[in-house]
Amino acid sequence: MWNLARKLLLHDRLRFAVAIAGVSVSVMLVLVQVGLYFGFMDTASSIIDASKADIWVGKKSNESFEFATPFDERAFYRVSSVPGVAYAERVVMNFAQFKLADGGDLGVQIVGVETAAGHAPLLAPWNVIAGDARRLAEPGAIVLDRTEYAKLKIDRVGHITEIAGVRAEVVALTRGIRSFTTSPIIFTDVRTARSYLPQLGSGEPVTYVLVKVAPGADVAAVQARIDALPHLAAYTTAQMSERTRTYWSTRTGVGASFFTTAVLGILVGLVVVGQILYSGTLQYIREYGTLKAMGAKNSAVVKVILSQAMISAALGFAVGAPLAMAMRIAMKGANLTVALFPALYAGTAVITAAMCAFAALLSIVKVLRLDPASVFKT
Amino acid sequence: MTAALAIDDLLPSPAPRQAVLARLVGVAKTYGSGENAVAALSEATLDIRAGEVTLIEGPSGSGKTTLISILGLVLTATAGEVWLEGRNVAGLGERDLPGLRARNFGFVFQGFNLFPALSALENVAIAIRMKNPRARDAEGEARRLLEQVGLGAKMRQLPGDLSGGQKQRVAIARALGGNPPILIGDEPTAALDTRTALSVMELLRQLADTEGRAVVVVTHDPRLERFADRVVRVEDGFIQAITSPAPGAGASGAFATVRESRSSL
Repeated sequence: MWNLARKLLLHDRLRFAVAIAGVSVSVMLVLVQVGLYFGFMDTASSIIDASKADIWVGKKSNESFEFATPFDERAFYRVSSVPGVAYAERVVMNFAQFKLADGGDLGVQIVGVETAAGHAPLLAPWNVIAGDARRLAEPGAIVLDRTEYAKLKIDRVGHITEIAGVRAEVVALTRGIRSFTTSPIIFTDVRTARSYLPQLGSGEPVTYVLVKVAPGADVAAVQARIDALPHLAAYTTAQMSERTRTYWSTRTGVGASFFTTAVLGILVGLVVVGQILYSGTLQYIREYGTLKAMGAKNSAVVKVILSQAMISAALGFAVGAPLAMAMRIAMKGANLTVALFPALYAGTAVITAAMCAFAALLSIVKVLRLDPASVFKT
Repeated sequence: MTAALAIDDLLPSPAPRQAVLARLVGVAKTYGSGENAVAALSEATLDIRAGEVTLIEGPSGSGKTTLISILGLVLTATAGEVWLEGRNVAGLGERDLPGLRARNFGFVFQGFNLFPALSALENVAIAIRMKNPRARDAEGEARRLLEQVGLGAKMRQLPGDLSGGQKQRVAIARALGGNPPILIGDEPTAALDTRTALSVMELLRQLADTEGRAVVVVTHDPRLERFADRVVRVEDGFIQAITSPAPGAGASGAFATVRESRSSL
């Protein structure tokens, strides 16, 4: 059956090429769009995912991770004293203006973390590729990502500038830490962060409290105790990550947008392959009818058509997947992350096979309804 | 009428010469219903015997194709009996018919109906595999059949590279796949020139003579009668006459009427 299917497909090479092109474009669109979506979502929750905290605590009214409302530092001490909490750290976050070398300003996302703790920090810059991140404790020290060089008009570690009119010195560089909001992320110490963020108020504002649960303590129980504190909401790190992804995915329409394009890609493939298979079936309808007249079962003829669909799916995937990889490389240059991973490839392969099988449905119905007597009539 | 049939002689292939392989009894086919009903075939009774070549003749629309379609189990009769493999199969559904067709019939058509993308060998082999997915050496059988029809040297050729006569020989080889005892041809020589048509018919005659196959051919061409043991004349949906060419009869030879379809068997 495979041999017959292959030869029937290859007999009209142009039509076959169109079918493979259709499936390839479909595969590429699905991979790139879904990969972009996951890339964006990874970016959206990257800071949360990189933390070593068990629980994230924020203001109850917060909807978005980035645009969180600060609260008074006293809440930090209340959280720290909750039974089951081993230790807690403050995070101060908000947006500030970064002074560019040409005199202009650029909005950046300040992430102030604890640097003086006597234990491994629950949140710190990761993927450090240059400089010394331990200097972050120094007043005015900042760490930023190498990919933001052009945007921030910086060319070296040691670059000195101002954020909100306060001195800032680049002490280290990271690789691959980007914000979903596209504003460069600037890591700094909590105290320095407060100086960059005067809009948070003159007190001791805190945006999040990160909690490490004591060994043997039940994370859910500790989370519930913290959640019961006035005005505070506690989430496990996984919940916080999911909440952030869901916010950006649903509230902004980003998810719908990417998946709509992916679905359109599938539809394109469906229509192209369906049309090609159907016209091929019509072309050979008398031959199929002859085989049925001579005793071929419907299942045997259907196998030929399904085999054609699966050959189209396999070759289309074989072409489309490398195209998506090439797109990933090209888009990396534009600071866009296309997250391609084995499960996505496997899922897309299954979708492609299902798409092609579904596209064969019309052809299958045609041969199932084909009356073998029809070959006698002309 | 059924009780009078000698069912024991409805034998599967290989069958003794003259053994009845298939039998139509009082078969009718009506299309549509009520006022729109059109009777395509009525009261058709016919035996198909091993080793015989039967020509079905008649004007267009007379019911020839309906007759062989019912005989070949690709069309269901409205009334009557179709005896095959020792039983009346007229009431069987599409679940059972493919197997019966695969075991009993090979078909040859005017338009050849060969897959243009497949070589002669592949066209025959795929039909063998489709008829019997468990066929062990479909390619070997296809090769043997193509040699039998005189195309041993052309088996790797695509249909597009073969002449009309060669294509029809491939179609005959395909029809022989699975070793069916009955070959049915629907105007298999209509698209061929006279010489080629006669050679194809000669091949079919040989298959009847040497292998004992029953060959049933629908044709408009009276020149083919010289190859026939019997000529069935169909008009207006009725078998008007079943005649046998006199020994030595040529294309326009004399015929002896052996029986009328409406007479008892």
